[in-house]
Amino acid sequence: MHRTRRFLIGGVIILAALAYLIYGGMRQAIIYFVTPSELKSQERPSKDKFLRMGGMVVPGSLQKDLKNLTYRFQLTDGIETVPVYFHGVPPDLFSEGKGAVVVGRIGADGLFIATTIMAKHAEEYSPPHQGKTPYQKSFIPGQEEKRP
Amino acid sequence: MTAALGHVSIILALLLALWGIIAPILGSRMRREGFFVSARVAILGQFLLVTLASSSLIYALVSTDFSIRYVVFNTTRSTPIYYRVTGLWGALEGSLLLWEWILIIFSGLVAWTYKNRHQELMPWVLMILSTVSAFFLAVLALVSNPFEGVFPIPADGRGLNALLEDANMITHPPLLYTGFVGLTVPYAFAMAALIKGKLDDGWIVTTRRWTIIAWFFLTMGNLVGAWWSYHVLGWGGYWAWDPVENAAFMPWLPATAFLHSIQVQERRHMLKVWNLSLIIIAFSLTIFGTFLTRSGILSSIHAFSNGPVGSVFLAFLAFVLLGSFGLLAYRADHLKGQSELDSVVSRESAFLLNNVVLVSALFTIFLGTIFPLIAEAITGAKVSVGAPYFNSVTVPLFLLLVFLMGVGPMIAWRKASWDNLKRNFLWPALASLVIALALFIWRVRDFFPLLGFTLSVFVTATILFDTALAVRARHRLAGEGVLAALRTLARRNQRRYGGLVVHLGIVLIVLGIGGSMSYSIERQATLSVGESLSVGHYRIRFEGLRGTQQPTHYRVEGAFRIFNNGDESGIFFPALKFFPNQQSPVGRAVFRSTYADDLYLILSGFSELGQNQATLKVLIRPLVTWIWLGGAIIALGTMVAIWPAKNSRQNAESSEQANYRLPTES
Repeated sequence: MHRTRRFLIGGVIILAALAYLIYGGMRQAIIYFVTPSELKSQERPSKDKFLRMGGMVVPGSLQKDLKNLTYRFQLTDGIETVPVYFHGVPPDLFSEGKGAVVVGRIGADGLFIATTIMAKHAEEYSPPHQGKTPYQKSFIPGQEEKRP
Repeated sequence: MTAALGHVSIILALLLALWGIIAPILGSRMRREGFFVSARVAILGQFLLVTLASSSLIYALVSTDFSIRYVVFNTTRSTPIYYRVTGLWGALEGSLLLWEWILIIFSGLVAWTYKNRHQELMPWVLMILSTVSAFFLAVLALVSNPFEGVFPIPADGRGLNALLEDANMITHPPLLYTGFVGLTVPYAFAMAALIKGKLDDGWIVTTRRWTIIAWFFLTMGNLVGAWWSYHVLGWGGYWAWDPVENAAFMPWLPATAFLHSIQVQERRHMLKVWNLSLIIIAFSLTIFGTFLTRSGILSSIHAFSNGPVGSVFLAFLAFVLLGSFGLLAYRADHLKGQSELDSVVSRESAFLLNNVVLVSALFTIFLGTIFPLIAEAITGAKVSVGAPYFNSVTVPLFLLLVFLMGVGPMIAWRKASWDNLKRNFLWPALASLVIALALFIWRVRDFFPLLGFTLSVFVTATILFDTALAVRARHRLAGEGVLAALRTLARRNQRRYGGLVVHLGIVLIVLGIGGSMSYSIERQATLSVGESLSVGHYRIRFEGLRGTQQPTHYRVEGAFRIFNNGDESGIFFPALKFFPNQQSPVGRAVFRSTYADDLYLILSGFSELGQNQATLKVLIRPLVTWIWLGGAIIALGTMVAIWPAKNSRQNAESSEQANYRLPTES
């Protein structure tokens, strides 16, 4: 019995450590997907949380500074619009009037500061083939979420 | 014609596979040896038929037979011949056929190797192999037929994904599939042992070498995938914790745990249920991986087929899990261990902890991979789990594993005495502390990298120290020189020294991952001609753009002159390739590798910027080269471990067991 109890205690300690690791990891790494209206309807959007927001780039809203690689634009879901700021190189498919998913966090002034932009492929796009293509992701250059 | 030949071969092979399942049952009911023989013939027949089917598909691809849908989607008339052949695993149907082909090659090897041995187990081993084979053949015959026709016959094919036109396409998928399929062999032996109730350690001794081979291919498949991702896909990383990558990596964890814990069973007759569970889990994960990547249930960014294949694999997975664990429960009485853990400070306990850590890592990665599904099912919220989760959870676990890698091979069985501990670990521990201090003073101040480097030194030191002691003993005993002594040691105890070499390879990979995870630098900038960008000890000057028409695409490249600490070290040309039938360009990154770091240049844009401006992304990734070197060392170690011994095989098996002793114990 003595031995069994020791194994039990060891097991509980290991499980607790594991649960702690998982909880801590999940807390910082879960990214919720929201639409601009969902973001606006939140009472107090959590400022430190990373979010993924999808919508359409409002035509005429895109201001880019190519020298400094900064982009400002509005993202809309047809109901609400959210201003977005991005520093970096957006994917080639990114343009006004097209769909885009931005990953980043919301600033105090309601400005969405994106660290990554993913452009949505056009509807008629069909991948060259289906099946073993874990590498489709790199058809979306500018997607940098992979770098830890 | 070719299509008909291939399809009929698959259907006939399926019938043989079904016979291969029934025959052993009939044979044991009626006690007729003939049925058992026919089960083996069924395996060999499947081998011939599936080889015929695969050859047909390869022939159709090479001869661009566009009456077959699969060929249309995976070749064009201008595709070079070797990429026509690799089209076999370019998409779902063909890769399932390749899987089945490798499976039946393994099965045939098993049937042939053990023709006159393991008379009791073999019919059931072959039955399990036929069952798995029957599943894949049924999928190929009924659900995703690679020989499906197309009408009207198009003039030219759609072609392979441009990214897949790469030399790694030739090696990466077959390596990985060989690793996956290789796990079927120990699984089949485990199930046969359960069915027969013959649960001594026989099945483990027999399948050890098969497991090492499967493990090796799994390791290489993952590493080559990382290499491909790093060198070709042009985002600057080698691992993204993408669901598809996780699917390929997950079976590696229980397979590694299994390789270690079977040594405890061989030596101490413990952990029987655990070992059976590990191999069941490892095998199930290969099926789960295919389900995950083929069903399209995860992350729509991956353009995977959303056909019925996913649900078929899920059903088979449920069948495998229920059947295997059901059998395990049924035989639970036979599975009592014959000894118990004597002390916490012992090799058994180090191996046990190694297993707990590996399984924990598996659990966390599994959870992270499927968490989006769980969350959406329960709360309806769409979430994704990013790489930071996987990194923050697995890094501590893997570091603990590195520590155990230093302890496990050296600590004594049963109960380590204080002398044993002092003898094996005192100097390595002191050496690693000195190095840790030196690293800290130099500039490695962050906790995890410092711990990782220190533990790497510790493992290396334990291995070198132990080997040095053994060499000295040989020198005193037999008067051998260092090299001769090493050769004798390795020959007398292949598994141990092969394993230690593999551990050294893993250490190099740990160094590479630690360095590149913690100390990478990333910068991007838009440069006009003549402007420079300084990153770390490099300065990069933009010299101009050039566009050229290539046979299959239009190529734009930027010229960048590199200065390393002020000294010029050449011009590099990162490029963007524009393919006519693809929406966005494919980047071609360039890099300069040294043992200290890789300089990685990505041309991210130019078009909107006029002819004399280019947007460049620069990455400096320290120590990455060591990951690939580690892979080579692992290959070397595996060779040492499985190289056929000179004496007869029977001898080898028994002597391997006898040899499994520490030099320090003798």
